Amino acid sequence: MDRVLRQPGEHPDRTMELTRRMFLHKSLLAGAAAGVASAGWFPWLNTLDLAFGAEAFKFVWVSDSHLYPKTLNTRFVDKVTRAMKEVQAMSPPADFLIYGGDLAQLGDPVELDLGAEILKEVTIKKVFIPGEHDWYLDMGMKWEKLFGNSSWTFDHKGVRFIGLDTVSRGPDYWTAKKMTPKERMGHMATLDGSVAGSWAGVGRDQLLWLSTTLSNWPKNRPVVIFSHNPLYEYYPPWNFWVRDWREVHEVLKPFTNVTNIHGHTHQVLYNEIGKMRSIGMLATSWTWPYAPEGVPTLTKCKVRVDPGDPFDGVGWSKLTVSAAEKLENDYVMWRKDILGETPWDSGCADNANQILSPRLADREWPYYGAYK
Amino acid sequence: MKRLRKMRTILGASLCLLLVVASGQNPAFAHKAKHTPEQLKAFEQAFLEQVKVGDLLFHGDGDTQKRLDVTLSNTGMACAMCHPFASDTHPYTFPKFQEQVSKFATLRDMINWCIEKAAEGEKIEDDSEAMKALETYIYWSTRGSKLEPGTH
Repeated sequence: MDRVLRQPGEHPDRTMELTRRMFLHKSLLAGAAAGVASAGWFPWLNTLDLAFGAEAFKFVWVSDSHLYPKTLNTRFVDKVTRAMKEVQAMSPPADFLIYGGDLAQLGDPVELDLGAEILKEVTIKKVFIPGEHDWYLDMGMKWEKLFGNSSWTFDHKGVRFIGLDTVSRGPDYWTAKKMTPKERMGHMATLDGSVAGSWAGVGRDQLLWLSTTLSNWPKNRPVVIFSHNPLYEYYPPWNFWVRDWREVHEVLKPFTNVTNIHGHTHQVLYNEIGKMRSIGMLATSWTWPYAPEGVPTLTKCKVRVDPGDPFDGVGWSKLTVSAAEKLENDYVMWRKDILGETPWDSGCADNANQILSPRLADREWPYYGAYK
Repeated sequence: MKRLRKMRTILGASLCLLLVVASGQNPAFAHKAKHTPEQLKAFEQAFLEQVKVGDLLFHGDGDTQKRLDVTLSNTGMACAMCHPFASDTHPYTFPKFQEQVSKFATLRDMINWCIEKAAEGEKIEDDSEAMKALETYIYWSTRGSKLEPGTH
């Protein structure tokens, strides 16, 4: 589908460069032997022209921590805690942190409170957008109480930042089926479940708000949109996409410098549609395999991940707006090289021979109910 | 001469049949019978029942684990969290040398490796109902992929 939309002459500002640089990451953890035991490689930077006369600044993206209560599992707690320590140790500090959704695994208030407590480690400004895992137990009540409105905008040093809520406008699939809140949440938490249908969307009201919000913004000034789900069609069977993404693009079409930064897919992704570019971020919890079809052709895939190593294939992102008015995205992955150098090392190569089938269990009522 | 050879053949075949019947063994004529549509439906149903059980196990269903007396995870993780639609399980590449276990491994070896290492669950028996159901779901969900044993 993106091939249809990627018309000749329509592309993001070509001042953007994709570069491949290798440099040693010195651990940000206080007390760690710099560049030795905890060192990793950051071999890829997305460098793109972001701002006009902007001051240099940094911001960070962390998302998809999928916290369970500590009594059940601390592996995800350990990782988001590590990310927070690293963010807090940044010197000079980042201007703000965007948490990109899916802080909780099953929307449990215990999980959300735990996440809020861990995030307190970071004292810089924090902004939040929700993920579906945060939302569908109580339809966002607890999340909004902790983190405020699910969509918002602010201007920072020449850039307009917009937080978009792509999760709360899911069609009501639960009332007719008389599902309990836990059942509803359980189905939203199943990536390959089909009971919830195509739940990711922006919705008419938010599209209107987006349009109004941008009406006073010059068309050539940078806009950065944070969304949990990617704003393009990527493998609907796993609900990676936002079902009204075409309408989102219609609203953004007049703007020449739009960057979408998204979570949800737990993958390294890069895409361009029209004048907008999208960057997919790592999760701190676990990594998902690339879908059998629809991986954007511009993506340089990350390496295959060792599932026995909980720190492999996961991490966060450090984004720097440099004095040269470029934005650099460093994938802070805690293990190995981040990109596959050869087909057999690439996570995309695993797609080559996969022909996958949607679940049977969802189609037959007596069998539905995984994640009770 | 020709007649004598023919008589010997008939005598030999009769003797064999007599021995098989006398030993009480089924002469395996069942495979020669044509399958009825009802039989084929029953075979398919038996297969799909296993797919459904495997699907539920793969997606972490507690009731099914309890019924089969298995604990596939102690962390709340489920197989499908890393392998939606059983993606990246690559059953068609087994058996092969598997780096994680440092040996030539079957799909069942790898299922147990994932249960123990990635999900922190309890290893299941190779011939258990749970193993057969998991294997059935994984094969079913990736059917159509090209069989390439020994590859990665």
